[in-house]
Amino acid sequence: MKNEHDPTRDATPRAPANAALERALDAALAQVLVAPGPSSAFRERLRAAIARSDATDIGAQRAQFERELREQMAELKRGYVRLQRRTLAASLGGAFAAGAAAMIALPWLQSHFGAGSIIAVPLVGAMVGLAIGASQVINRVAPARL
Amino acid sequence: MQGSDATDASTRDADIVDLIRRGAHAQAFELLLGRYERRLYRLCLSLLREPAQAEDAAQESFVRIWKALPNYDGRASLSTWSYAIARNRCLTALQRRRDEETLSDPEVAVAAEAAAVAAADPDDRGQLLRELVDGLPERYRRTLMLFYYEERSVSEVATMLGIPEGTVKTNLFRSRGLLLGALEKLGLAHAELWLEVAP
Repeated sequence: MKNEHDPTRDATPRAPANAALERALDAALAQVLVAPGPSSAFRERLRAAIARSDATDIGAQRAQFERELREQMAELKRGYVRLQRRTLAASLGGAFAAGAAAMIALPWLQSHFGAGSIIAVPLVGAMVGLAIGASQVINRVAPARL
Repeated sequence: MQGSDATDASTRDADIVDLIRRGAHAQAFELLLGRYERRLYRLCLSLLREPAQAEDAAQESFVRIWKALPNYDGRASLSTWSYAIARNRCLTALQRRRDEETLSDPEVAVAAEAAAVAAADPDDRGQLLRELVDGLPERYRRTLMLFYYEERSVSEVATMLGIPEGTVKTNLFRSRGLLLGALEKLGLAHAELWLEVAP
């Protein structure tokens, strides 16, 4: 600002003539710079924009919930498959271990306790196995009921 | 400097804040819209200059206010908060069209405006004054316009623009100085010329 428009120039006290001019200018500005308002359709357009925005929000929320639900269902399915594989592996392992134990233990039982023990001892073992299996099933099913 | 204004605004908007706290957001928004519709529009108009763009910006501001109303925590007064939202919308809009501006230098703009009004009808002093105001540097022009829009309320203009009251007073002082300088250059610096101006 180097020319006569330099605002710092106005820091000096004004002459009385300038004070009168300033007052007149102030009045003129008050007359000329009239406060405008928005158009009559402003509120109507605003309400439509808000309704659109709310609808968009609801749509976006619904899409997000659906996406989360799909992810949770996929995770549940993956967990169920893992559980099935582990159960199958445990069953196969248990059956193999039981067969191996029977191959070793049955001749020993027959030689020490007689022919009746061949039926009685495996029966007790089967009962114990069933009890353990039942308790495992109850433990796995119980949290799902909560 | 804006303490008294903040207190006035807080008192004025206590009913709206109370409704927000009670969860009556729709009712609070209706009150806020009635109270700030014109003010936000004027702020947008003073920043953007174009009435259509100002309406769009004011509309976007109110949509944002509506969405953010449940999160209003009362740390800033409702007026300061609303003006800040509108100001940010306008600044984003200004940023978007900044590249389109050709006259960015304030002195060039004032000189160009003065040259334009020199060729205009000398009897239409209201139009001449409006054009001179349009040619003022941006910060002076928007302060001056809001000052007269808000019927000479320095504190309200300060809140609207988010600047101290002292800066508003300085801007007003300097903008009047620039206008007087331009009038002197045009040979129109006579009080009697400006006592009655058609709006």
